[in-house]
Amino acid sequence: MALLTPELLRRLEQFQLLAARRAKSSAKGERRSRARGQSVEFADYRTYVHGDDFRYLDWNLYGRLERLFLKLYEEERELPVRIFLDASESMTFGEPRKFDFARQVAAAIGYVALSGFDRVSVIPFPNAPANAETDGGRSEESAMTTRELAARGALRSVRGKKSTMEFFQNLTALTAGGAANLNESLRRGALEARQAGVAVVLSDFLDPAGYETGLTALVGRGFQVDLVQILAPEELSPTTFGDLRLVDSETGGMQEVTFGRYRMKAYQQTLQNFIQRMREFCQGRGINFFTASSKTPLEELLLRQLRQAEVWG
Amino acid sequence: MNFLAPAGFAFAASIPVVILFYLLKRKRVVKLVSSTLLWQQFLAETQASAPFQKLKKNWLLILQIILLIFVVLALARPFFASKSKPAELRVVILDASGSMQATDETPTRFEKARAEALKWVDGLKDNDQMVILQAGANTEVRQSATSEKAALRRALQACTCSDSPTRLVPALRMAESLVRDRRNAEIHLFSDGAVPELKEFENRALPLVYHRVGKDSNNLGITALDARANPENARQRAIYASVANFSTNSKSTELELLLDDHLLETRSLTVGPGETSPQVFLAAQARDGVFTVRSTAKDDLAADNQASIVSLLPKPVKVLLVSRGNRLLEKALRSAADVELTTATDMADAGTAFDFIVLDDVAPAIWPKGNVLAIHVVNTNWLESVSHVDAPPIVDWKSAHPLLRYASFDNVQVMQSLTAKTPTWAVSLVDAPQAPLILAGELGRQRIIWIGFDTLESNWPLRVSFPIFIANAVEWLNPANAKSSQLLVKAGDAFRLALARPETGAQVTLPSGVTKNVVVDPAANEFVFGDTYNQGVYRLKLGTNDTVFCVDLLDAAESNIKPRDELSLGQYTKVSATTMQRSNMELWRTIASLGLVVLLIEWWYYHRRTV
Repeated sequence: MALLTPELLRRLEQFQLLAARRAKSSAKGERRSRARGQSVEFADYRTYVHGDDFRYLDWNLYGRLERLFLKLYEEERELPVRIFLDASESMTFGEPRKFDFARQVAAAIGYVALSGFDRVSVIPFPNAPANAETDGGRSEESAMTTRELAARGALRSVRGKKSTMEFFQNLTALTAGGAANLNESLRRGALEARQAGVAVVLSDFLDPAGYETGLTALVGRGFQVDLVQILAPEELSPTTFGDLRLVDSETGGMQEVTFGRYRMKAYQQTLQNFIQRMREFCQGRGINFFTASSKTPLEELLLRQLRQAEVWG
Repeated sequence: MNFLAPAGFAFAASIPVVILFYLLKRKRVVKLVSSTLLWQQFLAETQASAPFQKLKKNWLLILQIILLIFVVLALARPFFASKSKPAELRVVILDASGSMQATDETPTRFEKARAEALKWVDGLKDNDQMVILQAGANTEVRQSATSEKAALRRALQACTCSDSPTRLVPALRMAESLVRDRRNAEIHLFSDGAVPELKEFENRALPLVYHRVGKDSNNLGITALDARANPENARQRAIYASVANFSTNSKSTELELLLDDHLLETRSLTVGPGETSPQVFLAAQARDGVFTVRSTAKDDLAADNQASIVSLLPKPVKVLLVSRGNRLLEKALRSAADVELTTATDMADAGTAFDFIVLDDVAPAIWPKGNVLAIHVVNTNWLESVSHVDAPPIVDWKSAHPLLRYASFDNVQVMQSLTAKTPTWAVSLVDAPQAPLILAGELGRQRIIWIGFDTLESNWPLRVSFPIFIANAVEWLNPANAKSSQLLVKAGDAFRLALARPETGAQVTLPSGVTKNVVVDPAANEFVFGDTYNQGVYRLKLGTNDTVFCVDLLDAAESNIKPRDELSLGQYTKVSATTMQRSNMELWRTIASLGLVVLLIEWWYYHRRTV
């Protein structure tokens, strides 16, 4: 499966992730960082102290003031981009599937990051694919699982534009299943990161336990967080009416509902309330929040919405 | 506790329907969804977010409001005020005569009239009163004045139709007395108008409202029936029947003659519209029996399609002639048919062995108890102030009386005569200017003919009228004839039978097969049975005697079932059939029914839109 069209890739090459905060990675990269080091970007002066490198002394200034000042330059470092990809059972719904859409978004963001020499980590959650836990008996299944585990491992850290193809292949190898714990996954992701950076969370956020603690942990760790909520068209506007017994795909919980066209408005109001609460939560913490139907054209989200929100430019 | 409209409990039948609706289990479709989180929130928000919400356009709400409006309207019991003026008292006369059984209205005229009357009961206002009279052969007060609708409905339901002719006069008389001095009172007559003259009510300003029932006059009926000895052959009986066609087209029928339920003869017959066809059947009869004439034509009135008559075999008449010798009289008596004449010069007993006794100028020691032809005798028990007249001229005689049939008193001269004032029990047959010369009548159960003059002192025995009169007298005085006429009564009339000895009880088997026990007063000398409302053959068991008698309609006025558009009260006053609607027609039942319909629509809509 081609995740992204060549036309889209060509247009994405022009973008670079915009990080409001300075990169904190220890590895050298192309991002400005707070660290001072060797580059061509002048940053500041400071008084010479014993032992400083004479090569950075500003001799012109010494000529005028007869004092020794040292020129400081910004060190350019890489920007770690962590993409949290919801691979739970609920993401397999929708037409097109929410998970497919999420992988496409992940691929686009990853591509932009890789193009800018940034390190990309894709963290699918739940950690293990569902079928790996349930049945490992059959060879085909287990082979697929092995391949997926390998892909998951490879996706932990990808760097350099030359890794793009491999990155895409590994993304394609991912499958969705099982029940996700969004909060736990985000919190652990925040703790695991050695440096903060950009965190992109791709999920439907339909987790009974909520999303608040996970996102708070990410923000607290210093990440710049972007959320893309992906909902299926069926979730935005249900098409099944009558007396229903709904079964939750992840928890297996049942809910009896009598639903008709006359209650459509009320349902959509509920949905808007849900989204609005989330938007307000995000605004309060400086998180970029996007919501999209899995039916939305990818270009519309990537080239217009993310660009307008200055996720990249 | 009483209910004004107990029929309303019929609506309780809707309760199980509602319960049934709730018993229906809603079948839920199981569906796998990504997450039920949104649905839980949706339910939480839509269920109890706030005590009030903005009013939305909701068809369920609108339907329920319409339903409530209907219910409230029904509870308010609205009604249409109609043209009829408010009446405080309505006297309802329900015609229950034979013609009301006509089936031109479904099911019958009587049921239609009853239904109409029931509607008027429904329209009765709370304070108004109603009286229900049933007018058949006699008038019955079915319900005295009341406002209680349940009682009025019960009374109307209890009314029954009989085969009897209409006797509207007593009913109207009673109704008139009820509405007299009442303002706003009305008499409502539910009838087909097949009633005799109501001349008595002319110029009485009777507040009569005539509700006509009936549409057609399709009826062929037997209006007369008689059975006699065949004059040409004494062994045979001649049965006379009149078949009248009251419809507007000629009708054909098969006329059947039955003797004790055995078919003797069938005759095809076509009667033109408005015509009457007299029919004579001749039949041999070996013993007493019941002749039935039956018409098989299909018409609207069944009661007159059959008539029965009891025919008793003629027996010789035993006559005792008490005379000092009157050859002319004796010869006249002997020439009458079937007479066994015994002559005597005086009477020693009451003469109970004889059918009747002729006293010719002899005053007996013991007056006979049976029927008597008394010539020139004085009995002060019969007559008061008997006096003599000489050569009384005969000025008038009643030729219509059966005794004077074919007997004329032209050229009859009387030399001298006894005369007396006409007593109440008798009629005068032959009159002189001063007083009657011949009287006839019934005193108690005794038939008496009194001739004031000695026939030998007149030229009457030399006239043709004399033997004819004697023959008529033999027929009239023969108790067997009287008895056979007693055995045919018109529907609704009482059947009477003289009792030879005291009885305490009797059994009557009605045409329907029901046997009724009748208690007889031991002191009574007459048995009376009044429950003769239906046409047919009745069998009476009285002591050891079995008697059969017949009840027939035999009334041309009743058989003429053409509904009359107006009733004539005498010559000048006419009452037209009303088109008046019943007053204050209540609407709440209709409205409540509409409410029920709305409820069902609401239920249907609720279930439809969830799908």
